[in-house]
Amino acid sequence: MQPISRRRFLRSMSATAMLSPTGLWVSRAWAQAGKPYAGARLKMAQVSHAYGEGLVAKLPEFEQRTGMKVEIDQMSFPVLNQRMDLELASGSGAYDVMQMIFIRSGRWIGAGWAEPLNSFIDNSQLTDRAALDVADFVPGAMAPFKRGETIFALPWLSDSTVVGYRTDVFEKAGYAKPPETFEALEEAAKKIHSRQMAAFVTQDNLHWIFPNWLLSYGGGFFANPPGDLTPTFDTPEAIKAAEKFTTMLSKYSPPGGIKLDTSVAQAIMHQSKAAYYLDGLGNTQHIIDAKKTALADRMAFTHTPQGPKGHFPQLAVHGYLMNKASKNKPAAWEFIKWAVSKETMLWSALNRGHLACTRASVLSHPEVRQKFTWRGSDLASLHLDVMKRAGEGYMAYRTVPQFPPIGDRVIIAMTAIASGQVAVADGMKALQKDAEGILEKAGVKIQRKG
Amino acid sequence: MSSRVPAVSVLVAALLVAAVLCPVVFIVQMSFRTGHDAFRMPPTLVFSPTLHNYVDLVEGKFVRSLANSAVTATSTTVLALVLGVPAAYTFSRARVRATGLLSLWTLSTRMAPAIAFGIPFFLIYKDLGLIDTRVGLVVIYLTFNLSLVIWMMRAFFDGVPRSLEEAAYIDGAGVVRAFLRIAVPLSAPGLATTAIFTFLLSWNDFFYSLLLTRSEAVTAPVAIVNFMNYESWEWGKVAAAATMIMLPVVALSIVVRKYLVRGLTAGALKG
Repeated sequence: MQPISRRRFLRSMSATAMLSPTGLWVSRAWAQAGKPYAGARLKMAQVSHAYGEGLVAKLPEFEQRTGMKVEIDQMSFPVLNQRMDLELASGSGAYDVMQMIFIRSGRWIGAGWAEPLNSFIDNSQLTDRAALDVADFVPGAMAPFKRGETIFALPWLSDSTVVGYRTDVFEKAGYAKPPETFEALEEAAKKIHSRQMAAFVTQDNLHWIFPNWLLSYGGGFFANPPGDLTPTFDTPEAIKAAEKFTTMLSKYSPPGGIKLDTSVAQAIMHQSKAAYYLDGLGNTQHIIDAKKTALADRMAFTHTPQGPKGHFPQLAVHGYLMNKASKNKPAAWEFIKWAVSKETMLWSALNRGHLACTRASVLSHPEVRQKFTWRGSDLASLHLDVMKRAGEGYMAYRTVPQFPPIGDRVIIAMTAIASGQVAVADGMKALQKDAEGILEKAGVKIQRKG
Repeated sequence: MSSRVPAVSVLVAALLVAAVLCPVVFIVQMSFRTGHDAFRMPPTLVFSPTLHNYVDLVEGKFVRSLANSAVTATSTTVLALVLGVPAAYTFSRARVRATGLLSLWTLSTRMAPAIAFGIPFFLIYKDLGLIDTRVGLVVIYLTFNLSLVIWMMRAFFDGVPRSLEEAAYIDGAGVVRAFLRIAVPLSAPGLATTAIFTFLLSWNDFFYSLLLTRSEAVTAPVAIVNFMNYESWEWGKVAAAATMIMLPVVALSIVVRKYLVRGLTAGALKG
């Protein structure tokens, strides 16, 4: 075959590009030269969140740089829970990158649905390790997604339980700041609570709030997760914790305080109907939203109280995983790297108010510190402290594969106890029985007591 | 008999109507409030209404979801009637021993809760490439709406005297002509009622839309839930979206209300 000359080749290509119906396509292909993922299409799913909105806003620059097209589906948490479980279980591969939901991470990793990321992290052609800086993720935020040295997701959201409170109300009751222990908090609540001002408010995801008491009083969900998953809801410590927690709900919360979604709980603070709000940082920080309240200059933040056995603020972590069934793995990795990069996370903190982030460098950044210090409360520091504590491992109960149904049962039990439908001890014994049933049905060996 | 209605009855009826409409009024008024205003305690009766929530919906993806709902519900209703009404007529008129068994079989898709069929449908749809498509939703809605159409319309056709069609046969009409010119027009109230129910079942479906869509074919009931953000719920948008979902159904009900009442009360009185 006669070799084609360079000039002839270029002439032919130019003519083709100009004359053929595919000219536009060729022009585009040329324009994309040098872009490593030109033509790749990626689909990603996550919960509706300011961080996701930030990614959507910054996406054009990422697409411009890489040449790939990314579709970000944001959905509510209940919808995300259902859809992701089904997509992963069926091996559909429709989503290349997905949110690693904290309480489902144990099941998803155990089932092998998340691609291990080490081979991508260690590949110098795909990753600039210094820029990614895995060590910059706070250990408490990385822990749920690691099995030994294998990393299955990189965290973007870590929600720590903190307290937002009314300084004027506590000062009037004789407290410079809210008490440091749950016992003292209850005493303070007696003084503060009235028909006009509830002493305590929280949201209705009670399996997220109750463990602040449960662990601090020496109780737990399981005997020693993940090794021994025998439920421990009927121990004296757990019963005492349930009694203390439900007392706050039934005696010192606003009407209907057992079942308030986050928006309503925040609105109650905005409208000066409660003095103390315990919830995740991402929710709590909204109580000073100047668009919704004129009381921001009377609010401040502090850490959660401790109990007789110590201080166990809760931490929920969400990451980005690569779907094992994805057909675009290198592109998916490029996206994950960008989505959790220092630059993206810092931008999101400064421009989208996303403080519940996972990188130590962002939380220590002077601009972030300054932006999120409110009336002497350094929120970034509070958050960092919780993440460091959680790094000790006490959050392991939450990534047990059987946690989701047991967590739902905890909500039912707390609601029943707080509303007076059942006595504390009876409610906790019923919870214990149900939890044992759930675990045994899942084939988990537990030690039944008699 | 006096046609005057006792005052007590009027009062009770008014209270019942108020009780039924209370949640609707609450949602509608909330849709015109700002998020900050929505949960003001005690609630204020006088407020500055805003279209902010509706503007946000129109500018966002909700309109596409509403269009998905409209297309899937309307297509399902039309197809279910086109396929189901002749089937119902056949079941009503055919003198075949297996008729009872066959009509019972059409109910099979309704003999178990939707969740029982959810996973098998998802897996089949995944292989057929029907996930996240309007066609996929129409097909799934047809599976459970056809039985509703067949069973409802069969009852209406049973109420149409056969002698009318027999008279038409004598005059030279065929089965199709008798069906189209006599049975269907005489069952018009039933047709309207059945159409409304079919439309409502598809329009309000949450489960299959949640399961079988991702982003392109998401319908309004699922899109509403997506206003529940991780950090806080956008109640203003939820209320505005709920109002927008209600409007077409209310409009449709008003248009066919004459037939609807007649259809619902058909057979209630003798003679």
